[in-house]
Amino acid sequence: MEELGIQILKSLVSGLLMGLVFALVALGLTVIFGVMDIVNFAHGEFLMVGMYTTLLISPLLGVDPVLTLPLAGLVGAVLGVLCYFGLIRFLLRGPMIAQLFGTFGLMIFLRNLALLFMGSEPRIVHQGWLVGKSIVIGPGVVLESTKLAVAVLSLLSFAVVWWLINRTKVGKALTATSLDAEGARYMGISTELMNALAWAVGGASVGVAGGLLVNFWPVDPGVGLLFTMIAFATVALGGFGSVRGALVAGILIGLIVNLPPVWDAILRSIDAVGLRGLDIHSFKYTMVYAIYFLIMVLRPQGLFGWKQ
Amino acid sequence: MEAVKNAFDFGDMPRNELGLAAVVLAFLLSFPLMPHSSFGMATMIQFLMFSLYGMGWNLIGGYGGQVDLGKAQYVGIGAYTTAVMMIRWDVPFWFSMPVGMALAVGWSFIIGYPLFRLKGHYFAIATIATSLVLKDLFEVWNFVGGARGLEIPLKGDFPNWLYLQFREDYYYYYVILGMFLIGFIYMNGFRHSRLGYQLRAIKDNEHVARSLGIDVHWSKIKAYAVATAYVAMVGSFHACYNFNIEPEDTMSLDLSVLIAMMAMLGGAGSMWGPIIGAAILVPMKNYLGSWLGGQAGFAGIDLALYGMIIMFIAAAQPRGVYGIVEAMRARRR
Amino acid sequence: MRKIALVAAIAMLAAMLVPAMAWAGPKEIKIGVIYPLTGPAAAAGRELRAGAELAADIANQVMPGINMDMAKNGGVKSLGGAKLTLIFKDHQGNPQLGADLAKKLILDDKVVGILGCYYSSVTKTVSAVCERYGVPMINGSSTSPTLTKRGFKWFWRTTPHDKWFTKDLFEFLVGLTKGKAKGVKAVPREEINTLAAACEKTEWGSNVAIEIKNFAKEYGFNLAANILYAAKSPDLSSEVQSLIAAKPGAMLFASYTSDALLMIKTLKSMKAKPKILWGQDAGFDKPEFVSLGDDIVGVLTRSVFLPSVVKMKPLSGQVNDLYVKKMGHDLDGASARAFTGLQTWVYVLEKAGSTEPKAIQAACNTISIPGNQLVVPWVGIKFSTKGDEIGQNVLGGGLIGQYQKQKDGKIGLEVVYPFDIATAPLVYPFQGY
Repeated sequence: MEELGIQILKSLVSGLLMGLVFALVALGLTVIFGVMDIVNFAHGEFLMVGMYTTLLISPLLGVDPVLTLPLAGLVGAVLGVLCYFGLIRFLLRGPMIAQLFGTFGLMIFLRNLALLFMGSEPRIVHQGWLVGKSIVIGPGVVLESTKLAVAVLSLLSFAVVWWLINRTKVGKALTATSLDAEGARYMGISTELMNALAWAVGGASVGVAGGLLVNFWPVDPGVGLLFTMIAFATVALGGFGSVRGALVAGILIGLIVNLPPVWDAILRSIDAVGLRGLDIHSFKYTMVYAIYFLIMVLRPQGLFGWKQ
Repeated sequence: MEAVKNAFDFGDMPRNELGLAAVVLAFLLSFPLMPHSSFGMATMIQFLMFSLYGMGWNLIGGYGGQVDLGKAQYVGIGAYTTAVMMIRWDVPFWFSMPVGMALAVGWSFIIGYPLFRLKGHYFAIATIATSLVLKDLFEVWNFVGGARGLEIPLKGDFPNWLYLQFREDYYYYYVILGMFLIGFIYMNGFRHSRLGYQLRAIKDNEHVARSLGIDVHWSKIKAYAVATAYVAMVGSFHACYNFNIEPEDTMSLDLSVLIAMMAMLGGAGSMWGPIIGAAILVPMKNYLGSWLGGQAGFAGIDLALYGMIIMFIAAAQPRGVYGIVEAMRARRR
Repeated sequence: MRKIALVAAIAMLAAMLVPAMAWAGPKEIKIGVIYPLTGPAAAAGRELRAGAELAADIANQVMPGINMDMAKNGGVKSLGGAKLTLIFKDHQGNPQLGADLAKKLILDDKVVGILGCYYSSVTKTVSAVCERYGVPMINGSSTSPTLTKRGFKWFWRTTPHDKWFTKDLFEFLVGLTKGKAKGVKAVPREEINTLAAACEKTEWGSNVAIEIKNFAKEYGFNLAANILYAAKSPDLSSEVQSLIAAKPGAMLFASYTSDALLMIKTLKSMKAKPKILWGQDAGFDKPEFVSLGDDIVGVLTRSVFLPSVVKMKPLSGQVNDLYVKKMGHDLDGASARAFTGLQTWVYVLEKAGSTEPKAIQAACNTISIPGNQLVVPWVGIKFSTKGDEIGQNVLGGGLIGQYQKQKDGKIGLEVVYPFDIATAPLVYPFQGY
């Protein structure tokens, strides 16, 4: 029983950390959707670009990977703005199908460009303040330092975005655009500018996330998809466009994927012979999608969504 | 009777389109007689398969406006039904294919009922979710071979029409061409059918459609079932053509996305769209990839190019290549 | 616009209608080679290609410095000194594409036979095509046990498969408890009796998981956790938690490249302390994995060829020198097995004295290549023709290597099993994180 208690604690901790990681990756996606109703399928590729940026720039400048974060954010923001003016602006005229299709194209383009220049082999950051370190806080409860840093950054980013949207003039303009772009235009708010701003914020947040993640995760051209699928589920579960929803849904998903060790501990403590060897690890993402599906059926607009 | 008349009624198509269709048909029928490479033949078979997948996608995605990114689950159900029945009970293809279609349609009703409560992006992502859940279940389900997949044993005597086992590809070609023609003609009938009109009304404006007395939810589910039948049929064929199936290649997200891409590139919501899309992307995938990737050593450049084309078309004309054709025609008039 | 479309359509058609080249020279034997030259396994593809090319070069020329029969003939002697031509195709890891390419090689290029394909899933579809057309195929590097359980008449495999490798692991563990390992006293059984395994969940990994389960039962080990996980997963912390909670003496893995990296990093962050950490090749035998540096010192991986084999087998050294000249680095598991695969083709053709499929089939079923001809440390090559495994080489063998810090400070693999050919003392227990 004691083992079970410790395991629950461990799973809570690592679930919370991982949940905040998922939430941070999803943040940019939900900001962009909130302003202009577009799902960016290339979101994971922005993350990949952020990861490669830090991986390449840090040895070039000879500084610690953590110090290149502003640069990764900048690259993400520039990429976001470029994508907006080069592609998304044109897609907005079409129906949802064309928008999906266009960002699919962007995803394939970015991923294979990376393949062409970086090759398919995964790369890792070898040295840095965060690399290979972890903090022990209790009996077997360990915090991985990169995940901890990402979690802190995640909370910070959510606070900043929340403040930006709810407490500043720019934020009010963003909200106005998302509610009624035409009405906002009559009030002198440039839709173009607001949209570009959303892409800059979205790109920067995921760029920084990538720059930090690369301290722990290997990066290869296909890395985006791993996170994108979870990010989609996070955003949809929280409700498209809801910043608060993304945070809650991210943590929820983080906790779900850390359930299997608890299940194993339960099996061990009750010594259920019939159930032994019933491995639920291979279902951890199945559970995420199944729970997503169930919640969506009960609440079609997501947990905190207000747009249908 | 009405349905049959509808199916063969091509009266609303422009004359030059019909002429083009006749040329294409003549080409498709005579392709195996012309000198060709075996890779060209394999490419043609894939083109026909993806045209049919795309037609299925187009039914719900194009005519109905519901973006489905989970078509691979039905490919999987069709393929697995045929393979399991053939391996375990020695059931011929022509019997297991309708069973596979029926099972897939049954599953589409089960998930379609809750799915169609969702709209837009929520619907698209939920279809991904159901497809992934089903794939994960198949990967651990030992009855269907788990992640190791299933392999259909060779019967030995070629050609075997009952079990669809041939040595030469042109047999497969004519089988899938037959399916293609039936699918195309059925699609033409569907356009003129009651459900077809209802679906387009729903796509234009759901509220208006509802006020006209259309049961929106039920119409979508019915159309989804028809779309599923298309995809499952080709899935069954895929199992026999490939002799080997795994969850990874029959039910993956990549396949779902590829199906949607081809239909969207060609032009969602038109008869020709999925066929045009498959005619562009399948040869491109097979030829460009092996030229640039395999020989020249520029891995990735083919797909980067492909991404650029998709971005360009999506930005220039939301209705795909067929939309461009239509726009040009309108300008000439 | 319309004209462009028309021209494009015609060009496309022309490409598809190019008539098959029906000409084959009398002094040329075409072998189709299908490998993943691009895609996720492109790096392995380069090694495979170079290994096969080197074998063809040695067979086609007279090379006095190499103690190998095929280095003395300058072509296939029984076929009038005919030279081998390799036609490479790239399957990109896609089984469907692999099957299409096999048809292309058989029907358009009229190859005598096929070598390939690395990925078991692609080998499966390609061998099914060969079986249908009655074209011989030799497989040098796919390790799924099911491949030779299908009773195929046109498929032969030179490499040992995952069942053998997993058996090697258990033999190694048992040997360890009996004090057979070089430089280590007998380890008490309780110390390593509990095992925990994590395998990726596609075809390859789930097969390995089954083998581990069966052998653990047979050898009486307690398999406390047997986890399947998605290789394309953003997080492995829950898997690692369960592994650690099982308190195993040995942790066993079947991982691809990026998940192997993430697995080691996660194990380190969670302070895992197993006595033994073993990986089933693949991700555990890649340059990226070696780049983890000190974190992998003491990790075990199974393989069929390690650079340190060169120390004990002169022939391997001779071939390795040529390979280094060609590629700039040593032979590895992928290139050595590709080399052996093509070498087998040469010996089979030599024995058959004909390029007729039937003659090749008969030659494959009766051939016996002694171990002194091979680069890899096997007893030889002889294919089984009956029982539940048809076409499997019964004289192959696996190695277990350990990452150790070498004199020059680099991390390299040393042979630790089979015990009698160990090149370095075993580092035991694993350092732990």
